[in-house]
Amino acid sequence: MLSYNFKYELKLLLRSRWIQLLSIVLLLLFGFSVYNGMQKVEKRQNDIAAAQQEVKENDAMMLKLLDSVERGMEVSASPWTIPTSPMAVGNYHPRVAAMETQSMSFVSTGQADLFTHYVKPTVAGDDFALNFAEMTSPVQLLFGSFDLAFVIIYLLPLLIIAFSYNVLSSEKESGSLRLLAAQPIGIQNWVLQKLGLRFFWLSVLVIAALIIVFLSLGLNPFAGTTLFFGLLGLILVYMLFWFALAFLVNLWVGSSAKNAVAMLGLWVVFVLLVPSVLNQLGNTIYPMPSRTLMINEMRSLKAEVTKKQDEILDNFLRDHPEYALNDTTQSRGFYHRYMASQKLVKEELSPVVNAYEEQLQKQQHWIGRFKWISPAIIAQESLNHMAGTSTQDYENFRKQVIAFAGTWREHFMPFLYNNQNFSQKDYPNLPSFTYIQKSQSRLSAILLLLGMAIGLFGLGFLVSKKGKHVSILNQG
Amino acid sequence: MISKTFLKETKELLRDGRVRIAIIIVLSLLGVAVWISARHYQNVNEQYALAKTAERGIWDNQGEKNPHSAAHYGTYAFKPKYPLSLVDQGVDKYAGTSIFLEAHKRNEAQFSAAADQTGLARFGDLTPDFILLFIIPLLIILLGYNSFTKEREMGTLTLLKSQGISGWKWLMGKWAALFLPIFGITAVVFLLAGVLLGNLSDFGVFRWNSLLMLFLVYMAYYIIFINIVLLISSRTKKSGISLVVSLCVWIITCLAAPKAASNIAETKHPYPTRQEFAANVLKDKKEGLDGHNPWSKEAKLLEEQVLREYGVDSLHQLPFNFDGYRMQKGEEHQAEVYFKHYNYLKEQYTQQSRVYKGLAAISPYLPTRFLSMAIAHTDYDTHWDFADAAETYRIATQKFLNDNFAVNSSYGEWSYRADATTWKELPAFEYNPPELNTILSRNSSNLGILGIWLLASFGLLLFTSKTI
Repeated sequence: MLSYNFKYELKLLLRSRWIQLLSIVLLLLFGFSVYNGMQKVEKRQNDIAAAQQEVKENDAMMLKLLDSVERGMEVSASPWTIPTSPMAVGNYHPRVAAMETQSMSFVSTGQADLFTHYVKPTVAGDDFALNFAEMTSPVQLLFGSFDLAFVIIYLLPLLIIAFSYNVLSSEKESGSLRLLAAQPIGIQNWVLQKLGLRFFWLSVLVIAALIIVFLSLGLNPFAGTTLFFGLLGLILVYMLFWFALAFLVNLWVGSSAKNAVAMLGLWVVFVLLVPSVLNQLGNTIYPMPSRTLMINEMRSLKAEVTKKQDEILDNFLRDHPEYALNDTTQSRGFYHRYMASQKLVKEELSPVVNAYEEQLQKQQHWIGRFKWISPAIIAQESLNHMAGTSTQDYENFRKQVIAFAGTWREHFMPFLYNNQNFSQKDYPNLPSFTYIQKSQSRLSAILLLLGMAIGLFGLGFLVSKKGKHVSILNQG
Repeated sequence: MISKTFLKETKELLRDGRVRIAIIIVLSLLGVAVWISARHYQNVNEQYALAKTAERGIWDNQGEKNPHSAAHYGTYAFKPKYPLSLVDQGVDKYAGTSIFLEAHKRNEAQFSAAADQTGLARFGDLTPDFILLFIIPLLIILLGYNSFTKEREMGTLTLLKSQGISGWKWLMGKWAALFLPIFGITAVVFLLAGVLLGNLSDFGVFRWNSLLMLFLVYMAYYIIFINIVLLISSRTKKSGISLVVSLCVWIITCLAAPKAASNIAETKHPYPTRQEFAANVLKDKKEGLDGHNPWSKEAKLLEEQVLREYGVDSLHQLPFNFDGYRMQKGEEHQAEVYFKHYNYLKEQYTQQSRVYKGLAAISPYLPTRFLSMAIAHTDYDTHWDFADAAETYRIATQKFLNDNFAVNSSYGEWSYRADATTWKELPAFEYNPPELNTILSRNSSNLGILGIWLLASFGLLLFTSKTI
């Protein structure tokens, strides 16, 4: 029976031009979205490379200046930018702290349009002043991006709905169901086989289209085999979930149009409503403290600190006797006071700033607990992880940059408080930043989706077995 | 004939369980969305009022200080939320809410809500605009996809034809039956929103005519959808196919086109990255006068020019403090630099808008979205407007402070401290969003596109009604 069904189904799909239509649609959608993603990745790489290049050129100039100063020559730069002063190096020659692209970054834009991919922390600036928001038109953020993740999560289910809403009902409507009932096969089995075959063909088309698109856009899908198979695995189980849903609806509901409406309703619930409701609830249960009020707090604290600068410096030096010992001149200027108070402000404000991180983590945790309600959330999250563009990735980057900003600041502290000049031989010791990507396992998401799909299939069997006496033939 | 068809269709819709459930779901979703937005609105506005007064307090109580220190100390401009944001949140979530106003620098608005949320926020929020723009068109499809196909499927088409029915009257009946429930739902929601907004105290400037205009825009959008759905239903043979085709139209209009437009707009007319922008500004700043650097070439030039103008030969003989004067001139140069670079951003955005308008040819969603945001004061233009107002205020503040410095002290007197009461003399920052008329004339092209869609879809529908 299976081989019979197989042959018949393939003929049917070819003759009704479903296969041809789907191939074209898939190629177009995948092509456009992957192309978009790659352009974004390319722009990001170019921006980072340009920034690195600029630093390199600046460094060359700095070394030249240092050389001239060390030889005792007159230089034409503004006095406070001459790099013998450690603060000048720390402020005017910052390093690029960049978040490099991952090999799968083109898959999902995620939060990449919202956050910047490189910053240059300086010694004088404080951590709150580090702005991680990218300069993008908010209209663009509102509309989102036509990336591969969008095609997979939003559009693929709709294709599946169009492809499978009338598997059983069309037989009923054309009158061939009675013929089918005379065959030696249970109706659930028959629907399952038919949907299974459609799933098989759609999978073949999706995989082929993806490989063709990747190759024609100059990506080698087999370069990172595990990543590529991870992506395929995720797409396939996500598709399987929707086919399982189609199986259930086909058995449960009556006419073609009713089926389509029911599946569409489920699509709206899973893809549009559940994510937004979960997000809203997360925001309500763990509300973000007001940023405007944080500004107030920060301002009052800074105002207070400024008034007590001298006292703060004294305390700081008492805590760091090594500076008093090493420095013979004991001269204290603006930056000595400023850096000491800055440190204090940072320490005082850290609970306020951490409150945001904590709240965000709680929200993330809350979503983690309920994300199984919607396969769209699971798929989106794991695609974002794959691309390295998830909220956690950017949080990671932020943390690493702030740590680096600390290292950068600390590096110049001994120079400053020892009143020691920065020289050419100190240049190679300057700290530099490398972003470390924290990888997350993709397997759990795939297994979760697979479990959900199998559960739905099981449910379909259970329900249709129980209600067998209400025969499918007599419905509608 | 029109009324008979209308009555029959309405009865049928009312008897259909799915339709009742769908309408109940949409209405309850709308209720929840309005409630959430109203709470959010009140919350934000309370914080806004609090932050605004607290910030002014901090500014007023700086104590004795050099005016230029006060300029560096700076102040904040906070962006208020407007009443109609209850209906359409627009880009508010993605645009910053506070701008730091300090000497020498124009800052971007900071702290957008989206940056403080998880990735889930990008799926969208359960807000009235989400329901109005996405879900109600779906409801229209659900109500109308089988309007004509069912006659075919049940065999009543032949019966109807034998009655000598005129195509357009039949069509108008069906059209009215589809239009009325949508009109009803939308009118109830807008009326409720209006009453809610009218009753809340200190709710900014709420005007009924803005709400009415918003209502009209949405009705136009829905009428376009009704026309399209009926057109598809009259051209297809099976209900299932009609539903799938209508859905495709919905996907392209509401989901695919906006996203594709945003991608195309960005690739064609990109914004610089934040760091690039800062670097470009810095480069231009260096080429002109720096108020803090009396040794630069530009500063020397200014010195000579002022000395010549006043006919004196030393800066000490000037009737004002030259430090303050130079500071102000430097400020003016920097303001110009920022003006130039922000204008470039605006230029890019104008180009991007053109892309959006171009793609509006395949998506009535785009002009509707832009109009709705504009009327609700939650669009990007209003944000620009606010940022510009803040910049004007910043420039005025700097002038106030530098003038105080220049007039009340003599050259080289950096130890000068302005009186503690000085700061109160600075007028507070006030911002009023553009009026409805201004908004409509600014968005005339979007109105035009929506009008064309309306007329074209009606025309096509009536044209095909002859051959059903």
